[in-house]
Amino acid sequence: MTKLLKDMTVGAFSLLKGLAVTMKYCLRHSVTMQYPTQKMPMAERYRGLVDLIPEKCITCYQCVKTCPTACLAITHKEVDKKKTLDTFKYNMELCCFCGLCAQVCPTSAIIMNKIYEISVYDRKKFDIDLLNREKYAQWANPTVK
Amino acid sequence: MVTILTFIFMLAMGALILGFIAVSAMFLIWWERKVSAHIQSRLGPMRVGWHGALQSVADVLKLLLKEDIRPAEVDILVWWLAPFFAVVPSVMAFVVIPFGGNLIIKDLNVGILYIASISSVCVIGIFMAGWGSNNKYSLLGGMRSAAQMISYELPLILSLIMVAMRAGSLSMQRIVESQAGCWNILHPDMAVACIIYLIAATAEVNRAPFDIPEAESELVAGFHTEYSGMKFAMFFLGEYTNLFIVAAIAATLFFGGWHGPFLPPVVWFLIKTYGLIFVWMWVRWTFPRVRVDQLMEFAWKILTPAALVNLAIVGWILLK
Repeated sequence: MTKLLKDMTVGAFSLLKGLAVTMKYCLRHSVTMQYPTQKMPMAERYRGLVDLIPEKCITCYQCVKTCPTACLAITHKEVDKKKTLDTFKYNMELCCFCGLCAQVCPTSAIIMNKIYEISVYDRKKFDIDLLNREKYAQWANPTVK
Repeated sequence: MVTILTFIFMLAMGALILGFIAVSAMFLIWWERKVSAHIQSRLGPMRVGWHGALQSVADVLKLLLKEDIRPAEVDILVWWLAPFFAVVPSVMAFVVIPFGGNLIIKDLNVGILYIASISSVCVIGIFMAGWGSNNKYSLLGGMRSAAQMISYELPLILSLIMVAMRAGSLSMQRIVESQAGCWNILHPDMAVACIIYLIAATAEVNRAPFDIPEAESELVAGFHTEYSGMKFAMFFLGEYTNLFIVAAIAATLFFGGWHGPFLPPVVWFLIKTYGLIFVWMWVRWTFPRVRVDQLMEFAWKILTPAALVNLAIVGWILLK
């Protein structure tokens, strides 16, 4: 009988404790974000799309060699015995966002930016010309699609 | 002429009540979603209207436009009538709810008895839905509902009797008037009665932790599995109207009804009622569901004896 009464008292208090916990959470700020209008800031080392700073590129082909999925394709031309970048194609469909190209780049011309809204309706859009900056800019603003 | 006027008055009152019920149910659904969301660190509906305030309106429109699906092999008459049996009694209970000093449709001298008997009819609707659906889960839900409601009716009515004993009347208005000086909840014996009432009423309106008739995870929504569109909406409406009714009764019997300083009586009544409804929501989103056997054990071994003992104590205090 005493055990029953003790159990009942402990049980009743535990119920009140549970109510206190949920009320605490109820009064706290929600963690949910209103996604399209409100976006989470990405971490400093977040690996989004591959991006290029064309002026820095010395056409060393290190990125092409190191890419495990062969999604980068570069061509160059020689003007006055100096290599300059001709095309820089990035096939995002193959990319595994490993960041090795950015790591290996000796001049930090390749960076991984923070764009993560990268779904499209057309497969052809995955073939990105990194030298065409205007076209690349549409990835930064997904509403353009 | 008089009969026509009476008829118009009745129609107007009916429209008023039905309008209030619909708006109240829509508000409660929205509120419940908000409360549950904030308890779970979410935001809940946010898109339709200010903080999703019109979400329920959008949902009702959707339900109105939905196809009325009738499963094969249902017991058509029973299946078709069940939603009405679930809603109509809870609407009828509004007749004796005192919203204010003279804001009551009919102050019956058997008010509490009327509510207790009317609200017991709801279980028939749920059982009809369970039986008529020709679905094993629905039938289980209906059976559980019948067992649960019959078990919890007893402590519920015992706690109502304690209030009637103290007030010396079954009329709702007289009970409110008897609490003019001091609310019933402030007497220790009545506080126990109030707790018993609140627990039993949770089971009566099929809310968590006593929501075993519709237990989503085990009975796939139980008695209303086979209902869609407006029929489902009617069950939903009935559920939230019942919630309002039990909260309104609790406010009337234990929290002084429409009594309160400064604000008009109606406002006080609604504040108390919705405050109690919030407690029910809070409880729902805190506790896990109990098992059927635990539920029955709790009703018959703890709640009913406690109510009987408390009844004896109330009687002794009144006779002293």
